[in-house]
Amino acid sequence: MSTFPTMQPNQNAQLIATVGRSPRQLAWRRFRANKIAIPALVASLSFVLVAIFAPVIARIINVDPNARDGSAITDRGQTIGRFGGMSWDHPLGVEPGIGYDLLARLMYGTRISFLVAVISTLATVALGLLIGMVSGYYRGRVDAIFGRFTDFLLAFPSFFMIIALSAPMIQRIERSGVARDNGARILYLIIILVLFGWPYFSRIIRSQVLSLRERDYVIAARALGASNRRIILKELLPNLWTPVIVYVSLSLPGYLAAEAVFSYLGIGVQPPSATWGLIIADSTKYILSEPTYFFIPAVSLILVVLSFNLLGDAIRDALDPKSES
Amino acid sequence: MARVKKSTSIAIVAVVALAVLVAGLAKMSGLGSSNKNTITYLTHSEIWTHADPNRNYTGQHIAWFGSYMHRTLTAYARAEGAAGSAVVADLATDTGRSSNGNKTWEFTLRDGATFEDGSAITCADVKYGVSRTFATDVITDGPTYAIGMLDIPSAADGSSVYKGPYATAKNDVAAYDKAVTCSEDNKTITFNLKRAVGDFNYTTTYLSFSPVPKAADDGDAYDMHPVSSGPYKIEKYKAKDEMVLVRNENWDQASDPIRKAHPDRIVVRFGMAEEVRDQLVLNDSDKNSMSLDAILPTNLPTIFDDAGSTKPEFAGRALNVYDPYVNYQAVNVKKLSCLDVRKAIFYAKDFAALIKLSGGAAFGGDQADGVIKPLMGLDYAKVTGLDEYKPSGNPEAAKKYMDAAKKSCPDVYARVTDPKRGITFDTTISDTAKKAAGIWIDAMKKNAGIVAKFNFLEPGAYYSVVLDATKQGDLSAGGWAPDWANASTVIPELFTEGGGFPLSQNWGDAAYKAFKQKSDAALVEPDRIKQGKMWAELNQYAIDQMWVIPGVFSKTQEVWGSGLGGVYFWESQGAPSFGDIFIK
Amino acid sequence: MRENFSLASTFLVPESFNREWRRNRLFLYISRRLSISLLMLLIVSFAVYVIFAFLPFDPAALTCGKNCNDPGIIEANRHRLGYDLPFFTQYFLFLKGIFFGRTFGEGAALISCPAPSLGYSFQQHACVTNLIGEALPVTLSLAVGALFMWLALGVGLGILAARFRGGLTDRLSTVFVLVGTSLPTFLTGLLLLVFVVIKWKFIPFPEGNYVPFLENPFQWIQILFLPWLTLAFAYAALYTRFVRSSVIETSNEDYIRTARAKGLTESVILGKHTLRAALAPIVTMAGLDFAGLLGGAILTESVFNLPGLGRLAIKAVTDIDLPIIVATTLLAAFIVITMNLIVDILYAFIDPRVRVA
Repeated sequence: MSTFPTMQPNQNAQLIATVGRSPRQLAWRRFRANKIAIPALVASLSFVLVAIFAPVIARIINVDPNARDGSAITDRGQTIGRFGGMSWDHPLGVEPGIGYDLLARLMYGTRISFLVAVISTLATVALGLLIGMVSGYYRGRVDAIFGRFTDFLLAFPSFFMIIALSAPMIQRIERSGVARDNGARILYLIIILVLFGWPYFSRIIRSQVLSLRERDYVIAARALGASNRRIILKELLPNLWTPVIVYVSLSLPGYLAAEAVFSYLGIGVQPPSATWGLIIADSTKYILSEPTYFFIPAVSLILVVLSFNLLGDAIRDALDPKSES
Repeated sequence: MARVKKSTSIAIVAVVALAVLVAGLAKMSGLGSSNKNTITYLTHSEIWTHADPNRNYTGQHIAWFGSYMHRTLTAYARAEGAAGSAVVADLATDTGRSSNGNKTWEFTLRDGATFEDGSAITCADVKYGVSRTFATDVITDGPTYAIGMLDIPSAADGSSVYKGPYATAKNDVAAYDKAVTCSEDNKTITFNLKRAVGDFNYTTTYLSFSPVPKAADDGDAYDMHPVSSGPYKIEKYKAKDEMVLVRNENWDQASDPIRKAHPDRIVVRFGMAEEVRDQLVLNDSDKNSMSLDAILPTNLPTIFDDAGSTKPEFAGRALNVYDPYVNYQAVNVKKLSCLDVRKAIFYAKDFAALIKLSGGAAFGGDQADGVIKPLMGLDYAKVTGLDEYKPSGNPEAAKKYMDAAKKSCPDVYARVTDPKRGITFDTTISDTAKKAAGIWIDAMKKNAGIVAKFNFLEPGAYYSVVLDATKQGDLSAGGWAPDWANASTVIPELFTEGGGFPLSQNWGDAAYKAFKQKSDAALVEPDRIKQGKMWAELNQYAIDQMWVIPGVFSKTQEVWGSGLGGVYFWESQGAPSFGDIFIK
Repeated sequence: MRENFSLASTFLVPESFNREWRRNRLFLYISRRLSISLLMLLIVSFAVYVIFAFLPFDPAALTCGKNCNDPGIIEANRHRLGYDLPFFTQYFLFLKGIFFGRTFGEGAALISCPAPSLGYSFQQHACVTNLIGEALPVTLSLAVGALFMWLALGVGLGILAARFRGGLTDRLSTVFVLVGTSLPTFLTGLLLLVFVVIKWKFIPFPEGNYVPFLENPFQWIQILFLPWLTLAFAYAALYTRFVRSSVIETSNEDYIRTARAKGLTESVILGKHTLRAALAPIVTMAGLDFAGLLGGAILTESVFNLPGLGRLAIKAVTDIDLPIIVATTLLAAFIVITMNLIVDILYAFIDPRVRVA
């Protein structure tokens, strides 16, 4: 009897508890194990929540993005009090020269930034998926044509063209009656970001599809006589969710930063609406005289982009453990 | 382990070395060898808007180039205060002789006036210079008084039959030769005008009447290498880099009683970052330097106290004065055809908040009551009927007028209060404009219920939009200064069809005919005092009709290095008298 | 056409025959890529011209400043600048100008821009080619310096991080990568300016404007140092991440283990084997990033006030100076297409597998 190794209770439990886990659950476990993943997730989610519930939060804290508080600035436009006029009325201070509450404007600014970023991302993904799948699956002529088109778009100095084309294109949109003022500007930004964004993603999808189409289940489906459309939608698409998720999590911060950059340069949403880029652009004039007014939006932007990047990295690690140590 | 230390230590050494190198190099570089007798001007602009005398229009350019490079027939006296608005002779021997009821003007050129290559300045050169103004497709942006005043017929489309010295086809050169004639000895020039102009010798202070040697003229490119008739000539002019002026040895002080040539060298540094430009002058890094641009509002508190006076540490190095400009919002009277609405806009405006953007009233200026500034003296009379004005806006008055508008012009009322339409406001893109937009939109909505929308335009596109009646919005930001000390360069320019800057498009108005008649009468009125009263009356009328929303009687601030003396504000040009600046 | 030349098949063919075949294949490949690039350039130039020719503002009205309330002037300008010609004629004249030079106006006001003429800017009173010629060296200096810095920083850090996986260096590099990819360049530039120059005064205000290297190398470095750092910070992050993962992946390959077993030191392994494998993609990335930078580092040039292509382009947009806008866009596209071509050809030399039909 004593020659048999006695089974300890936890070993026993472990034996019983060994159960198969789906890839999704494995990924989630790896995600949870990653120390920065959860904080990043929480931070990103809270930014999104702030964007959605900005008006509610503003009413609770009692700040208004359009209210000019003349009493918070001197006759010369400087903020009164330390740290850019921070007080209970103005938790993050006020904008010099005009007296807007900074916290309210930052909160409302996230709405526009996220609107642009989310719609652009979704559209880029949709377009990239479509063209990438078609290119990769059908190959041949179709692939060649789309490939040339992709190269062509990638050759354009997109950043500069976005700036150069903004004024006339926005005029065109307004004239066509589809949208006006800031609506037209947001529409322009989204269209142009998507236009220059999908080639890159479609290439990723295409290379994935190229390898996927040689898999057994696809060959089997084809042998069974399934139509091409069915194969694309039912066999390929569900297996593409990995690159899609990774791309979404990384392109969101990219588009957020892009929106800030374009507002900074004067394209995109115009005052008196508030976006982070506009606030940062204005604050660069006050770097020396009102440093708080510069640092708060700058740091906020960095935090948002950082948390989404961290989240994207964590997701990528969780889904594909071989890619990192 | 040893290898690790090696690679890391190499890296550390490299970084430290680089840092030391850069920090040490900093000492070696810096402002170039600054000649003791050089005045340096600093500007954010990459290039002079124009160095071509026929294309110079702004007061600062005329003051600068007029002091150093370009002579004209007559000029303003270099003096402070009102004395600086007097006309004195420059290239001419006197301030001009008029005859034929002020329709013919004659100037005799001095002896000894030469270009930088030593050749004498003759009547032909002045005549050629004036002719360039007519090539309006090439010589752009300059004042077009010559075209409006000289006795040359107009073609069917309203343009002059003389098209300037470059055009070969359909060009009536003979007409020009008749209007501007030179005497046999090539020393006396005669101008035949199509109407009486009592102050034509004020018009000739413009650099557009400067002599230009025909052989050196190459049209648009002349802007980069104009020939000098003054104390200095261009040694180097490179955009985004610098312009260097050196002494013109062929300039004869005896022939030029009004100019002095103090420094040996003048340098203009272009393309400076705004903060760097301000810091250089504020820190007195180069004692002989001066900024050509407006001071950044964030730097004003360093120089001036809250009341607008210069702080002791900047005594003698800064000034804060009224400039000749009046800013206003021009109203497109055709589109905004309702007087009650226009009045409501004025009373709803939040001036106090707007002026804070410029650093406060001590630096931005005061609420204007019209388009003529008090410092114009004879032409100014306080405008009455604006008693309901309050600096932060007067909601009651505004609402009163809006209620009246509901009855008197229901269509316009409906449009301006409709969130989908509202009024459009044209302005150039700038950080201040963006903030001002917020204030305007808020004030209009709260105080008058008017929906305001802003149309931000690139500076390059601004004029092509606001001068086009079909594209212009309801309100356009405008600013104007009198071209010389007579409101004859304000009222007709702004409010008559064919004026230089008629943003108000007001000639469809019922009372316009009477207005035009009075304005024409004032133009030819010989009694200056009576004329002044007439202008004041017309100003009152324009404001009664709210053809513009009165804006700001603006102020300007200048700052310069401690090594410079003789700096004063030359009111007639709205800029310092650069030629009088010397190194202490 | 499918890839029928696998690596194995090249070994099956006799040596001499193989070399000549390879050379012919290479030649064919290069000429194909070259012709495609030229065609692409032509199409892009046409597209750019179309876009800017059919915009809803009148190019002639933009040339006359404050005098623009006179339709006669606008018409005269339209004629003088050739905007009244049919569209294709305009495009053809534009192309012709690139090869033969172009003139505008008449009489004494004749403006002549020698080949390669990209137009004349009336706001800056100069031939566009000259303006670009002055701005290009600045952007070139910026791009080349930044390239060296980010390669040194990125590759170096990546190697160190891979070498000491899990250690402090590795964690720091991760932080570096994250912050680098999260900060937009204009913020990095501004923060560097605020802290390094204004607050801590490590580097004094660059009081001078840009000077070419040959004129005053010290001032050149002083002026460009912070912009280099700004760009390097942003770009290096991507390379660090890539090099690190690439080195780690290659380290696990069999042939590396063999080399280690043979007794080769880590640094030799690093230098000879692992880096070589990563070389091709690094070259590709660097080439494309460099080309993109040359097209106009708009943000960095704005923040640091450098008179390069980016500043030129932005000013043209503000002034609505059409000839410059069209020219800078074309130039940027040209650089990207050329760089793509060069990278593809280099790739073909490095990796014979690439030579597909």
